[in-house]
Amino acid sequence: MADHSSKLDIVQATAALKSLRSLRNNVGTLFHSLTEGIGLQLGQDSKESRFVAELQQQLVTVQSGVKEFEEAINNVDSVQVNLGNSGHLNQDCTPDALHLYESLVTSYRWTDNLTEYSGYATTLLSQNALKRSTLIHAKRRRLQPSSQNVAPQTIDSVINQVCRSLGDNVKIETFRPYGSSTVLQITLGKIMKGIVVLKRLMVEWVVVKGATEELIEDGKIDMWGESRYKVFRKVTENANAAMLHFYSPAYPELAIRSFLTWFNSYQSLFTSPCKKCGHHLHNLLPPTWRDLRTLDPYHEDCKP
Amino acid sequence: MGVIVLQLFAVPDGKSGPQVIEMLTKRVIALGAVLSGSFIVDCETYSSTASLGAPRSVHLLHNSETPASVFALLEAASGNKTVALVADNLFDLLMLKLSNFYTAKKQTKIESRGPRFEAGDFLVKLGSVTMGPAFKGILVEVEYQACSLPAACWDLIREFMQGFLGGCVPSTPPQYIQNRFGDMLGTIDGINQYLEQFNAFRKTTGIR
Repeated sequence: MADHSSKLDIVQATAALKSLRSLRNNVGTLFHSLTEGIGLQLGQDSKESRFVAELQQQLVTVQSGVKEFEEAINNVDSVQVNLGNSGHLNQDCTPDALHLYESLVTSYRWTDNLTEYSGYATTLLSQNALKRSTLIHAKRRRLQPSSQNVAPQTIDSVINQVCRSLGDNVKIETFRPYGSSTVLQITLGKIMKGIVVLKRLMVEWVVVKGATEELIEDGKIDMWGESRYKVFRKVTENANAAMLHFYSPAYPELAIRSFLTWFNSYQSLFTSPCKKCGHHLHNLLPPTWRDLRTLDPYHEDCKP
Repeated sequence: MGVIVLQLFAVPDGKSGPQVIEMLTKRVIALGAVLSGSFIVDCETYSSTASLGAPRSVHLLHNSETPASVFALLEAASGNKTVALVADNLFDLLMLKLSNFYTAKKQTKIESRGPRFEAGDFLVKLGSVTMGPAFKGILVEVEYQACSLPAACWDLIREFMQGFLGGCVPSTPPQYIQNRFGDMLGTIDGINQYLEQFNAFRKTTGIR
C-alpha cells in the first residue's frame, strides 16, 4: 500500500510516527523498571515508596504519550479508498481472498493516476502543436496524383493553348518519335530553334540551336548535338538551369507554361541590350540570361 | 551563314596599308579574337563581245571561305541589278571556253587578302585591296555567324565593330543591308557587297 501512504499528509504522518515511537519507548522503559526494579541509592529507607512514585511517574508519561499519539493520529487525514461493496472482501477470512482487496485498491490507484497523468499530457501536447510540413504536402499530393499519367491529347491541348498565348512569332510542333515521350520543336521567329523533350508534362531535356542550323538529321531529330555557335550553347546551358527552376511535379501545367513563356523571351536575344550594363556584348556574347521572373535580359556576368 | 558587313577603313595620311593592318590586328586581338589563317576574295570581270548586242559584264568572284564555289554575277541589262549564279569550280574552265562571247578585261583583276580572326561567334577579316600591283585600300569584313537576320543583330555587330574600328562605323547599316533588313542573309550577300566595293575601288584612282 505504498501508493496509499504516498497520498497522506507527510508532515502529519511523520509527527504521528514520532509520537508512536516515543510512546513505545516510554512503555518499554516502564516494563523495564517493572521487571528489573529500582536499585537502592542514597537514603534507602523508603524502598517501596520510591518504587511506587517512580512507577507512577512513568505511567503518567505513558498516558500523556498515548494522548499525544491519539491527537496526532486524528490529525492525519485518512485517505481511505471506498470501493463500495467490494469492501466486504476485506472481511473474508479465507487465505486465498486475503490479498484480494489490497490488490484491488492498488489497481484502482494505478488507473486513477493514469487518468490524471494523461490529462496533464493532453494539455501540454495541445499547447505545443506538432505541425509537420510533410503531412500537409502529403494531403496536397493526394489531390493531384495525375502528373505521372497524362494522356497525349491533354499534352497537345496544353501545348496548343500555351503556343496561342505566346503570339504568332512562335511555332511549336510536337512529335512522338519514341512512343509516349513528347518532343517539341520550338521555332522563335528567325532567331533560334529549340528542342524540348517532355516526360508526361515535365521538361526533361532542352537543346537550343541557331535559326539556320538543322534540327533533323537523316530523318531523325538530333536532340543530343550541340549548336555550332557559342551563344546558343550558352542559351542551352541557361535553358537547362531554367528547366530545373520551373520543375514542379505538383503543378506540371503551370511549370511548362512558365518555362515556355520564359523561353519565348529569347526572341529579343540579339536586339535587347543588357539591363545592367546597357551594352549588347560582353565577352563577345549578347545577353544570354533572362531573369526567371521579370524576363529581363542580362549578361552571364551581370546577373543580379 | 550569318550577317556579313563590309566596311571600308580609310587609310590615314602618312600610313601604309601594312601599318594599318598591323594596328587593326592589335586591336582585334585585344578584343579577344584569335588568328585563324588568312583569307582571299578575288574578282575578275569579263565583258561581252559585240556579237551579243549591248555590252554586259560578268563578274567572277572566289571566296576562300567557300572554296568549292565560284560566284558569277551578271549585270542585268537595265538598272544596277545583278543576276547571281553560284557554281562549282569548273565554271572557271567553262569561262575559258566562252572566250568567244566574254573576254576578260585586262588589268582589272582585283582582290582583297589578309588575316582572318575568330572572336566568339564573330569572324573578322582584315583585307588589303590590291588591283594588279597597286594597293587600293583596306576592307574590313565582319560576320556574325549566329544570326542571319540584320534587323535583329545590326546593333550587336555595330557595337562590336566600333570596338576596334572606332568612329568610322556609321550608326545606320550600309545601304545594301538596309535594303534587305528583314531578310535572312547568306554568303551571296557578302559577295555582292564585295563586288560593290570593288567597283567603287576601280572607279577611284589612288588609295581610298
